[in-house]
Amino acid sequence: MRRLASIPEALVGLGILAILAAMALAASALFPGDPFAIKGAPLLSPFQDWSLPLGTDRLGRDVMAELFHGARTSLAVGLAAAAAAIAVGAVIGTLAGFAGGIVDEALMRLTDAFQTVPSFLLALAFVSVVGPSLTVVVIAIALSAWTGPARVARAEVLSIRERDFVAGARVIGMHPLEIALREVLPNALAPVLALSSVIVASAILIEAALSFLGLGDPNRVTWGSMIAEGRTVLRSAPFLSIVPGIALVLTVLGVYLAGEGVVEGTAVRKSLS
Amino acid sequence: MSDFSLNRRSVLSGAVLLLASTALPTIGWAQEPQKGGRLTVAADSEPRNLNPAIVASNGVFFISSKIVEPLAEADYEGKDGLSPRLAVSWEGSEDGKSVTFKLREGVTWHDGKPFTSADVAFSALQIWKPLQNLGRVVFKDLEAVETPDEHTAVFKFAKPTPFQLIRNALPALTSVVPKHIYENGKIEENQANTAPIGTGPFKFAEHKAGQYYRLEKNTAYWGKSKPNLDEIVYQVLPDRSAAANALEAEEIQLAAFSAVPLADLDRISKVPGLKVVTKGYEGLTYQLVVEINHRRKELADVKVRQAIAHAINKEFVVKTIFLGYAETASGPVPKNDKQFYSADVPNYAFDIAKANALLDEAGYKPGADGKRFKLKLLPAPYFNETKQFGDYLRQALAAIGIDAELVNNDSAAHIKAVYTDHAFDLAVGPPVFRGDPAISTTILAQSGIPDGVPFSNQGGYKNADIDAIIAKAAETLDASARTDLYKEFQKKVVEDLPFINVADWTFISVASDKVGNIADNPRWAVSNWSDTWLAK
Repeated sequence: MRRLASIPEALVGLGILAILAAMALAASALFPGDPFAIKGAPLLSPFQDWSLPLGTDRLGRDVMAELFHGARTSLAVGLAAAAAAIAVGAVIGTLAGFAGGIVDEALMRLTDAFQTVPSFLLALAFVSVVGPSLTVVVIAIALSAWTGPARVARAEVLSIRERDFVAGARVIGMHPLEIALREVLPNALAPVLALSSVIVASAILIEAALSFLGLGDPNRVTWGSMIAEGRTVLRSAPFLSIVPGIALVLTVLGVYLAGEGVVEGTAVRKSLS
Repeated sequence: MSDFSLNRRSVLSGAVLLLASTALPTIGWAQEPQKGGRLTVAADSEPRNLNPAIVASNGVFFISSKIVEPLAEADYEGKDGLSPRLAVSWEGSEDGKSVTFKLREGVTWHDGKPFTSADVAFSALQIWKPLQNLGRVVFKDLEAVETPDEHTAVFKFAKPTPFQLIRNALPALTSVVPKHIYENGKIEENQANTAPIGTGPFKFAEHKAGQYYRLEKNTAYWGKSKPNLDEIVYQVLPDRSAAANALEAEEIQLAAFSAVPLADLDRISKVPGLKVVTKGYEGLTYQLVVEINHRRKELADVKVRQAIAHAINKEFVVKTIFLGYAETASGPVPKNDKQFYSADVPNYAFDIAKANALLDEAGYKPGADGKRFKLKLLPAPYFNETKQFGDYLRQALAAIGIDAELVNNDSAAHIKAVYTDHAFDLAVGPPVFRGDPAISTTILAQSGIPDGVPFSNQGGYKNADIDAIIAKAAETLDASARTDLYKEFQKKVVEDLPFINVADWTFISVASDKVGNIADNPRWAVSNWSDTWLAK
């Protein structure tokens, strides 16, 4: 942690993420009730009325409240999708790597199949078939993001499975599935987790893009849908698109920088040891 | 003192003169139609089937009404609001079982063949009645079309059919297509559906998918020295913000059907050389309607429906969502309809307290979380405004303790969910009022409509009184008695609220100052544009 603090990118990234997390956690306390509630005159510009600091949208909803509640959706979707993708990917990768042979072949061809479809297209198709809701969006994003972790996990497992402690586990008669999940997987996890920042960042972007196209959950504020809504009045009230746009850029930047920092931090530690 | 007032008066009158003198040149300039030129227009959708006799919808009319003409067109001044096109006169019989049309002489199709009563008979019996989305209702009892001579067509009905209804249906439902082109093979698969042949002022020239449609002047048009334009090009611009930019860049001269978003109108009206025109759509009024699924036990209670009506602030909807380009609705007939509109209906003023009281009375007390019950709300995706109204309605319902969950679908899924699967509690729909309640309004309240008919009563609503009025009006021949029945219909509908009318809106055109004679009839955007002209 102390090493992490000496890397400026990590510091900036973690700072942004901390602010975001605070926004998401404080949303309900600072802006209780429905963020969609109509609070004032429509299309009020920012910094005019200090009870509505970022102005209002076309229906007169508080942009600041929407921004805070949107942070919650974006982070929740990003983290949930990344967690699901890594969990599924790690398990599939471990099984493929550990079992080898036909199971490996089958699972890896499946991974190939998913990888050849552009991830956004897959999410788009899935949501438009099943219908938009928060869970569906999370599943859709995870569906297109699990292949990376699966490949990394498999590669890691291939090198781990020949080690002595695995042979030891075999000798004491552990079930192969138990060895794979309890002995091999935890050891293969570190490089997989390093992928998480990329996945979280792309999940947040995919969620925003889906909402922008009107395929997000309409009952939750998301930055993507705020931008989409603002697009119709882009020439007369550009702040409606710019404010959530900036939030989105900062979030993705924060996640990315923090991820970079962590990777760099661990690299430094490795080279020191 | 008197000197001073005299001076002031003379100064004022001088100022008036000065104003008048600057106004004069513009008036003089606007009156002289010029010949020739190409009018480029924004098209936001790209219909494949351009046959208006089969698909009577505004998206198709927008292009094909210049090529294929109806028997009569809507008119601001004409008798019964009509002006003649392919028919020069029309008359209904006493018993309501026949209508005689005298047809225009000396009209030829774009391929040179003469237009005769056989074409009208063929279009009516083979296309309008069996194939057309709206004609199926209006011409359901049409039995035969007699053609005593080449320029007379007599429509024979099996049951008395009100002449008023036939008359009101003429502009939208009676596009005449050539018999000699359609008589062989399947009508739905005829090539002329994508490259129409008609009698109109413009001929179909070409369609480049994803780019444009081009129409050329018909030099053999029956209208004297018409049309004024040489060419009309429909530039396909599906993105709504693109239309405004194209107008400003002078790539197009006209964007009809509100192709320019309402929120942009204020800005664009200040751009020199462009004008915002709100006239010319009175005959195409869209209605913002809350559709209700009466299968839900809460919504089957009229008190709950009335509470919802009281919870909607119609003025807010008009002002904020439509930015003033709409009118609040009092019932199922829009206020701009001169024939049928009745103001004698109950009024549901915006009143949250009353709405809450009605819900309490109905027995739906709020729970510990302040919520009475949950609903699924499906806003139609066709217009920005229907989607925004969905967002607004959710908040309006939240204010009276009804928790509405929004469900967004694309067009196809929305039609299926609401009109076939009935998987909704409330839906926001934009039905069209087409000049006569019998054409597309009564089906919103009538019972016994088969599943899957879009923009009809699919909420399971059944009211014997309303059904009886609709049935009676369908066979009432006297125009004023029929009108009275529809006034009664409006009253009953607003009392019992099978659906809730919120606002009525028409469209806005934005055009270059160079385009003349726009919006000169109530269906201008979907009329033939023969007198429209372009200044050089």
